[in-house]
Amino acid sequence: MDFDLNEQQNMLKTMAHDFLINECPKTRVRELEKDAKGYDTSIWSKMVDLGWLGLIFPEQYNGTGADFLDLVVLMEEMGRNILPGPFFSTVALCALPILKFGTETQRRKYLVPIADGKNIWSLALSEKSGKFEASDINTVASIDGNHYVINGEKWFVPFAHVADYLIVACRTGRLESADEGITLLIVRTKSRGVTINVIPSIAGDGLCRVRFKNVKAGRLDVLGKVGKGWKVINYLAQRATVLKCAEVSGACQAVLEMTQAYAKDRKQFDKPIGAFMAIQHKLVDMLTDVEGLQYMVYYSAWLLSTGAKADVYVSMAKAKANDVYQRVCIDGIKIHGAIGFTLDHDIGCYFRRVKAAEFVLGDTDMHLDKVAAGIGL
Amino acid sequence: MEFRFSQKEEKLREDVRNFARAETAGRGIISGMEEESRDEDWGFAMSMSKKLAEKGWLTMAWPKEYGGQGASFFEQHVYIDEASYWGIPGTTMGVSGIGWVGPSLMICGSEEQRKKYLPSIAAGEPDGVWCTGYSEPNAGSDVANIQTSALREGDHYIVNGQKIWTSCAHRARWCWLAARTDPNASKKQHSISLIILDMKSPGITIKPIENYAGIHIFNELFFDNVKVPVMNLVGTENRGWYHLMQSLAFERHSFAPQFYGKGRRTLEFMVKYCNEIRYNGKPLAVNAVTRHKLAERAIELETLKMFGYEITWKMSKGLIPVYEAARNKAYCDFAMQRLAITGTEIIGAYSQVDINYKWSKLLANFTRLYMMFPGLALAGGTGEVQKNIVGQFKLGLPRAY
Repeated sequence: MDFDLNEQQNMLKTMAHDFLINECPKTRVRELEKDAKGYDTSIWSKMVDLGWLGLIFPEQYNGTGADFLDLVVLMEEMGRNILPGPFFSTVALCALPILKFGTETQRRKYLVPIADGKNIWSLALSEKSGKFEASDINTVASIDGNHYVINGEKWFVPFAHVADYLIVACRTGRLESADEGITLLIVRTKSRGVTINVIPSIAGDGLCRVRFKNVKAGRLDVLGKVGKGWKVINYLAQRATVLKCAEVSGACQAVLEMTQAYAKDRKQFDKPIGAFMAIQHKLVDMLTDVEGLQYMVYYSAWLLSTGAKADVYVSMAKAKANDVYQRVCIDGIKIHGAIGFTLDHDIGCYFRRVKAAEFVLGDTDMHLDKVAAGIGL
Repeated sequence: MEFRFSQKEEKLREDVRNFARAETAGRGIISGMEEESRDEDWGFAMSMSKKLAEKGWLTMAWPKEYGGQGASFFEQHVYIDEASYWGIPGTTMGVSGIGWVGPSLMICGSEEQRKKYLPSIAAGEPDGVWCTGYSEPNAGSDVANIQTSALREGDHYIVNGQKIWTSCAHRARWCWLAARTDPNASKKQHSISLIILDMKSPGITIKPIENYAGIHIFNELFFDNVKVPVMNLVGTENRGWYHLMQSLAFERHSFAPQFYGKGRRTLEFMVKYCNEIRYNGKPLAVNAVTRHKLAERAIELETLKMFGYEITWKMSKGLIPVYEAARNKAYCDFAMQRLAITGTEIIGAYSQVDINYKWSKLLANFTRLYMMFPGLALAGGTGEVQKNIVGQFKLGLPRAY
């Protein structure tokens, strides 16, 4: 048993940490929340040069051949600093399933441009309910000769407005069966009949509504098997959920550290406020939350990396991440007092992202229910 | 990052499981301290201690020369986790001896003391049962405030004073005693010594204290001119405070695997119950509120598991986990309380039925846990004391008390 990162992971962590601090200060994070694209193209191209986009692709797809745990470490650092942009949607939501379920032609065609920073991707999954359930997929893809024709509406699709491609979860089978009859189609965002609108959101993080009106997709643009799309979703959801949890875990570490520093520095009644037990114990609870989350994320990531059944632990990690991110931010803001409530303070940047992390890939209730099933209920 | 146990550790888990199945079938899960109350429970626990010693598990991480197996901290972790899962009694023998007397003696005891005291603990003998005299009426969380004195007269200390909340004093052969050896010291912490006291010495009076559930764990101890040979001093005179702090860290480090094992089993009992019990024609297991409560408890237990792994991993690297032990103790208490409350809520009215009555549910595991958790949360330091330690030693915050 070993909690340590290996040498390569430590190097990656340090490099990512330094890069993000220099390239993406919180002033830039705030600007990007108001930016039409929502990400910084110059940071993006530097990330491409660092090999992050193709971090876990094999070399034949212009990748660097690192493994899933390395990506977890990178996401943790991205979360710690907050890096706005379509990295998660491109790599976690799209590249991972293409790598696993794509045909050789698809992998060559799509992964190389991702690694080279030429294409941005996103996953069009949730619909009007905003939930992550197979039974909520009502966007229909019907067959017309050699094509699928897609009609429907997707909600909360991250960075669709800057994406080149979308993976669209469509119903191609009977409506009454939830996870059978779903097919994933790869669609160019420039295709005729695709309309994309950015949803104004708390974090200004590029969530979009995407409408499909008679959008054509080729029969070769199916990812995975026809009617078996939910299997792909389950695969990508486990990995992407752990990566999202790693991002949250990093963010929580940052919130704890800034609050701890503030409690040492800020004096009232002639003492640092961290000398008051009410504040100190709150910080200890935050630490316990943050460390517990980090270990749960590492454990579920490690389980996935071994190929073992990990779905219950992944759901545990997500439910915990949702809970901890919110609590740590709220307590952090309270310890900061009024200054923590201002636009200029960094802690608000984290708090604005709590709900974005909470509802992506399943809310707390959904994951608790999966945990309940996992323990035998 | 690697969270796998070795084949040797997995084999040990299986051996402990087989032992437990054979020896403890059909029994409920009682806490380590409850067994100190009734004579028949204590007798069974001690018989188990003996068998565990024969298996080489009781003090497995101790060096062979003192009756251990020289096992790794990870092997010890697996044993504690699995033994706790099955609720094998007798694993602690009144807690002190195995928990911290042994480990402390190996660090700061004399060679004679190690030879004299360690083998009987390791062998699971009645002579290896210890109690610990720290708390006093005016020294609870502020344990440095103890007043019991041990003043030198020739080759002896003469001990006078009172201890309270002394678990297992009524079963113990020895007491691991903190006493004030320098009445003139300027700082409280610089006048405390640790002394081994023979519980058969003249001048000792033991008064039982029953807890609110009628269980006898605690005692009051009175010392009236009790003579203790000077050779029973542990470590350096007036440095006892530092030895004591170390012993508390030893005490706290095993809380996580202990409660993880026990909690996991308790939760499994509850899952089974929820699948069997039907309300309004449906199994309780489909009730969303019940599902969510138990899922949250499972997440807390798995978090506790990781905290336990972390501490064992750090110890195996030669580190002394100070704040981690305090954090784990506080988190254990939190998880235990939540599990106890959830369990009684699900069982409902039957959770109040006396544990010895036939209508008591689930071998009374939840009723027991519910009645015990507030006390267990105080043993080894309150949650507030633990959080003070974490605040100071991990977060680098000023002393808050």
